[in-house]
Amino acid sequence: MEHLVSLTYTEELTPILERYVDAMMEGRIVGHKCPECGRVYVPGKGYCPLCVVATGAEHEVEVADTGTVTGFTIVTPVAYYGQKETEPFVWASVLLDGADGTLAGQDIVGIAHDEIRSGLRVRAIWKPKERRSAEGVSNRGWGGVGAAIEAFEPTGEPDMPREQYEEHIF
Amino acid sequence: LTFSNSATPDDIAVVGWAQTPSVRRALENEVQLLVPTVAAALARAGLDRREIGFTCAGSCDYLTGGPFAFVQNLEAAGAWPPIAESHVEMDGAWALYEAWVRLQHGDIDTALVFGSGKSSPSSPAELWPQQLDPYYLAPLGVDPASLAALQARALLDSGTATERDFAEVVARSRRAALDNPCAQVKGHLDVDALLAEPYVRAPLRRHDLPPISDGAVAVVLARGDRARALAERPVWIRGIDHRIEVHQPGMRDLTASPSTALAARKAGYDGGPLDVAELSCTFSPQEIVLRAALGLAPATAVNPSGGPLAANPVMATGLVRIVEVAQRIAAGTADRGLAHATGGQVLQHNLVCLMEGEG
Repeated sequence: MEHLVSLTYTEELTPILERYVDAMMEGRIVGHKCPECGRVYVPGKGYCPLCVVATGAEHEVEVADTGTVTGFTIVTPVAYYGQKETEPFVWASVLLDGADGTLAGQDIVGIAHDEIRSGLRVRAIWKPKERRSAEGVSNRGWGGVGAAIEAFEPTGEPDMPREQYEEHIF
Repeated sequence: LTFSNSATPDDIAVVGWAQTPSVRRALENEVQLLVPTVAAALARAGLDRREIGFTCAGSCDYLTGGPFAFVQNLEAAGAWPPIAESHVEMDGAWALYEAWVRLQHGDIDTALVFGSGKSSPSSPAELWPQQLDPYYLAPLGVDPASLAALQARALLDSGTATERDFAEVVARSRRAALDNPCAQVKGHLDVDALLAEPYVRAPLRRHDLPPISDGAVAVVLARGDRARALAERPVWIRGIDHRIEVHQPGMRDLTASPSTALAARKAGYDGGPLDVAELSCTFSPQEIVLRAALGLAPATAVNPSGGPLAANPVMATGLVRIVEVAQRIAAGTADRGLAHATGGQVLQHNLVCLMEGEG
């Protein structure tokens, strides 16, 4: 018996995420810097989960749109319900310069799949302003920059040494 | 009454609590509601989060709308350095039950419990049929209000209650909520005016249903001497138990709640005097069912907070009942109280917690 269920959730972005999206529309990426440990979360959470202290607009900082691939998967899609991809694609974690956690699920272009590696230096390819949106940014912590940034491409800089990002893999 | 005269070294007490006001739509996400709430409960108990021996949370991923959403909620408790924790996909009252059981091991003295839910992003009528069995009930889209209406109809048909009785429950609850800063809907309502309102699910009117709420609540538990050191008047949990009935509502007598009666008896309640009872009657007819199941005396103040008809932060509602009783005992305005929580549909699963202050 086929019994597909769909549920609809409708809500406004939290005030922190609204600021985050507004900044992305202008080509800036902002996060919150913990006043105790100094870690930078992108987007801001409203608190530091390690120190358990509240953060707000006064703790907002801008991070760069360049970063380092800390880990990646080349996904070979199989046909399952809802899968739209048919060709192998990249699912990479990118540590932006100035941030302490990675953006998951980023596409890396301008380089062969078998040359993608941890430590690879990349820069954001921004969508044109008129094509940026809040799509994919949600209050549940999923999504990220996908509605404003097309993909990341290599900068050509030397790779980041492992010891400089190994505490920031995820 | 089987309350004991004094707490033993192994008795567990409520020593801290906090709750958010219930609102129709909170701007913050669930964990952002929890962060200040957990902090306030710990502050009231005078404990640092690193002193907590066990943490347990109650929430519902279907309600939050994300797989593993409960994991992020844990960030409100602080999970670094690593902590011992658990989660129940149930009201926070069951998280408290798990923490109470965990404390029975005797190797830890404190526990943190919280419950949270935002009903605002989803439609209760669309969402809650998904908790029913997937063959017979879920495909029908039977929502909680429809099931509660069947229960109300059974009460009317059996001569147990009238529609006026339902309206009087609502009027009293909304009036009591005037004194509760966390309540969402409150005011002086006229019973005749209520009875003139149209049905939304006959024989239920809109006011017989709970408000749609967002909110969170947190509780700190401590054992024996530790509780005495932390609280001026620890609120001792004298007994706690939960019992469940068959899933299919058609196989139950909806005018009675034998699982509530059994849970109360197993928790040690034998019908003796209670100053206060906070009941998770999310629909007005359920107060009548629960009063009868518990055999409450007229002298017992029922839902002085306004109860779930004034604020219903689903997944926190039951734990809020425990907080409402505990804060009255801690303040000395009550000595003995009973809190009730429910889960499932039309009072399928029921928990009873008996609390008492000393001296």
